[in-house]
Amino acid sequence: MSGLGIPAALRRIASAAWVTGVFVFLFAPLVVVVGASFDGGERTFLNFPPRELSLRWYGRISPELFQALGLSVVLGITTAAVACCLGVPAALGLVRARFRGKALVAAAFRAPLQIPAVVIGVSFLKLYYVVGDLIGVYVVGTLPGLIIAHSFLATPYVIGSVSAVLQRFNTRLEEAALSLGASRWRTFRRVTLPVIMPGVYAGAMYAFLVSFGDVPVALFLGAGGMQPFAAKIFHLMEFDFDPTLLAISTFIILGSLVAIYLLQRAVGLEELSRSGGGG
Amino acid sequence: MTARWHFVLVPSLVLSLLLLLSSQIAFLRGSFFKDLRLGRLGTELTLENYLRFFTDSIYVDSLLLTIRISATVAVLTLLLGYPVAYILARMRSRWALLLLAAIIAASFITIVIKVLGLIIIFSSGGTLNRLLLSTGLLERPLTIMGRPGGVVVGLMHFTMGFAVLLLYSIVKTIPRSLEEAAEIHGAARWRVFLRVVLPLSLPGIVVTALIVFNLCMGAFTSAALIGGGKVFTLPVLIQQTVIMQTRYGMGATISAVLMAATLLINLLSVVLLARLDRRRTAVA
Repeated sequence: MSGLGIPAALRRIASAAWVTGVFVFLFAPLVVVVGASFDGGERTFLNFPPRELSLRWYGRISPELFQALGLSVVLGITTAAVACCLGVPAALGLVRARFRGKALVAAAFRAPLQIPAVVIGVSFLKLYYVVGDLIGVYVVGTLPGLIIAHSFLATPYVIGSVSAVLQRFNTRLEEAALSLGASRWRTFRRVTLPVIMPGVYAGAMYAFLVSFGDVPVALFLGAGGMQPFAAKIFHLMEFDFDPTLLAISTFIILGSLVAIYLLQRAVGLEELSRSGGGG
Repeated sequence: MTARWHFVLVPSLVLSLLLLLSSQIAFLRGSFFKDLRLGRLGTELTLENYLRFFTDSIYVDSLLLTIRISATVAVLTLLLGYPVAYILARMRSRWALLLLAAIIAASFITIVIKVLGLIIIFSSGGTLNRLLLSTGLLERPLTIMGRPGGVVVGLMHFTMGFAVLLLYSIVKTIPRSLEEAAEIHGAARWRVFLRVVLPLSLPGIVVTALIVFNLCMGAFTSAALIGGGKVFTLPVLIQQTVIMQTRYGMGATISAVLMAATLLINLLSVVLLARLDRRRTAVA
């Protein structure tokens, strides 16, 4: 079959080795974090493989970290909700309506993805100061300030995943409902919404992840007690590292795996991989 | 039915545009005023900051370093990732779906945690060094932390999963029957790959490369943590300039140059490719 050159068996081994190599590269950091969190020794270095097994760091996670984690969860859920409220109608309009300059409008919606997150962080900081000087309300270092910026960042992801579903959606279903006498709103609630729901779930999850993983924007906008989890970890890694970080990171890794398993059950893997990346 | 849909998008569009334009104007206009530090700006319009950027080697070097790192990451990620995407797309067993799920799962985990893992592996007292020292392959600990090479590895880790998923969906659109047809006519596997699969996926490869490049140009978290205050890519420099030195004008200038340079490189590569493509079809 293979004509000249490499025999099939060798080719198989080579491809298996290549795939294994890349997967080791992708997963080794996670394995190492989980493994090192069980190392009990006092140390200047982090140890993987662990030298002496212990759970001591799990008992010492500071309440501050849990507080930051709680803040991130609240922030992420709110961001996902706001991004869906903005993104779902935008996707419906972008896919369904026919009008001039649609490409331009689509590009405008995608713009937050083209701007480096650091620049979005500073720009919103500056904007909040300007608005604050005008109306006397400063949102720097508050939850609403973070929610606004994160929603701006996350909306394109919802638009992307909902549009992906809509493009495959047959409008005949809606026409049938309408012709049978259902109102437009009822048609939307009973026909359109259930069909696009997988896209909405996937988009909401991506929005949550964008918010949860964001460091640069939170670095500028989250002062003092309003420091979300990822930004807090960033600071600790930069200035005073402490092994309890490994312990809490292990929780996050396990939590993420559970979350993706549940989402996969709800949405299906195909949808999840298709809608990734947004826009 | 269709008549109404564009009203649905108006509120989102207005809000998005308002936030986009107001924030960008509020910040970037600062680049045209003299930077008086401590967050204060002069009142007269001037191009002083831009002049400073292109005459001071700190800024120009940082720009070149950012471009070099991003281009290296784009090339290496594609070289490593494309074969994986191709193998997964052509796999007939259920393993393919499982491996795909694993990549998606990995992309769900927060970047700071992955960087933490990379640091444990690659730091001078880390896993890799202990392994290499104990096997005698290395005599002294060697580290890529705080070096451009380390930032490249970090950014490759950041973009790899995403690139493989994108390339996978591109290879999937190329019918397997095309390859089988070529093979039946006696073409060797690697020739089929070079003459059929690669040209057909080339547009997708270029798009993926550009996306990876753009992500790297703007990447902050892994560059800052792995660079450890020694590797200054433009995003890291922006954060330093604004937070440490409170120079908003200069920060805005660096941001403007970063975005303009990224856009320019994208446009140039698209034009260049279109020209190459035309020449190739002319020859054929």
